[in-house]
Amino acid sequence: MLSIHARQVLAKAVLPILILLAVGLVLLGLVRRPAVDGVRLMATDFMAPAYHGLVWPQERAKVWLTDLRGATDLAKENARLRDENRALRHWYDVAVALAAENGRLKKSLHWIPETVPQYVTGRVTRDDGGPYSRAVLLDVGSGHDVRIGDVALDAAGLLGRVTEVGPHTVRVLMINDDASRIPVTLGSSHGDAIMAGDDTASPRLIFYPQDHHPVEGERVETRGQSTMPAGLPVGTVHYSAPNRPVVVPDADLDRLDIVRVFDYGDDDSQAPDAPGRVRVKKLPQNPLTGPLPFSWLPNLPDMPGRGGQ
Amino acid sequence: MVAENSTPHLHSAVEPKQTFRRALDMAARAAMPSLFVMFSAILLSAPFGIPGQAQLQFGIAMCTVWFWAYSRPRSMPALAVFLCGLVVEIFSFGPPGTVLLSLLVIYGVAHHWRYGLSRLGFIAGWLIFSIFAALASFFQWALVCLHAVALLSPAPGLFQAALTIGIYPSLTALFVWGRRTFANPDQA
Repeated sequence: MLSIHARQVLAKAVLPILILLAVGLVLLGLVRRPAVDGVRLMATDFMAPAYHGLVWPQERAKVWLTDLRGATDLAKENARLRDENRALRHWYDVAVALAAENGRLKKSLHWIPETVPQYVTGRVTRDDGGPYSRAVLLDVGSGHDVRIGDVALDAAGLLGRVTEVGPHTVRVLMINDDASRIPVTLGSSHGDAIMAGDDTASPRLIFYPQDHHPVEGERVETRGQSTMPAGLPVGTVHYSAPNRPVVVPDADLDRLDIVRVFDYGDDDSQAPDAPGRVRVKKLPQNPLTGPLPFSWLPNLPDMPGRGGQ
Repeated sequence: MVAENSTPHLHSAVEPKQTFRRALDMAARAAMPSLFVMFSAILLSAPFGIPGQAQLQFGIAMCTVWFWAYSRPRSMPALAVFLCGLVVEIFSFGPPGTVLLSLLVIYGVAHHWRYGLSRLGFIAGWLIFSIFAALASFFQWALVCLHAVALLSPAPGLFQAALTIGIYPSLTALFVWGRRTFANPDQA
């Protein structure tokens, strides 16, 4: 048994020791953040079924509310859907015609078909952004082959990239996170830029060519680089203020549900060592002094400088 | 506010018999504040899509630790604060250690000043809490900036501080009621 004095000293020392441990955790977070995030990912993996259970009543309530709203205004909803269906049929015909034309053009150009990327589909387990970051956790099930750097898309466009991978869960850093930098190409001005997240709904465009400013409303697509393929839809350009172009994302970043994670593989296409150059043999330092060695050839003038080809 | 033993009529010469069931009941009542913080942290990490969910995690933990540390320290010992902080850290994705450190610091302050705070009125206690909530949010923001090596917008931190300060009165009302009833070990 400890004496009363020893117990008093111990009781006074508990808080400073715990504060020191907390400071240690802060330092660990600064130098080895992935280790801490790994533990958090494991906890989320463990809690994933419980999250589904917790969110289930909310999802059901949303479905009922949607049904209820639809039931109250059936005639108007029907008219809207008929109009939308008519427009979609038109766009379907256009898409089929364009696909056929694209196929013909590719055939005539002997286009090498691109590899089909592998993908997994997952449900958003939780929004784990916190106050200062924008990220989501996806439940992709066991046995997945997702790697860090893979690309996440929803039905409409680019969402972000995978930053941490757990046994069942992966963490996707969204394009509007402050740490996100995505190389993009602008559709009509054909300039390249970097799309930088700033924790708002619309990421900024930076490092665009000063003689080709982004045009309001033009499409923004990804530029091929490393594991990021070219041509993925990102959004449209919008000027929120003069000289401040932002991207309005196609993807609905606020209400994410089903997300696909694509593995476009490593960029193993390596450029040649010295593109466009041929190794030139070094000329002898001393010019030829004697008669040329091929002077026996007929009709060849005997002049120096023709031998070093 | 009265610091401890708020039910003097129960401290009569005749004490109820100490049975295992009573001991369990007392432990459960004493652990109620810590369990409340842990349960809230886990519940608020689910994807409900409520705006300010992460900030609410921080706010609930801060308010609970502050209130119970000065109001009834036996129900919120330092080790329980540490465990609560660890659970909040695991179920949030902010800069590691900041919530834990903030909780321990606010616990230390409230515990050290518990006699003075108990004598102060609600508004004065709320004002002192507001200062520490703002400081904790500022500390979190500074660490995020340090980690990102950039000056980030302080707006999320301000929102977090405002939310923490804003929910304090309603949570205090709940805790004052709980201290008399379901979280009172003397009533076991």
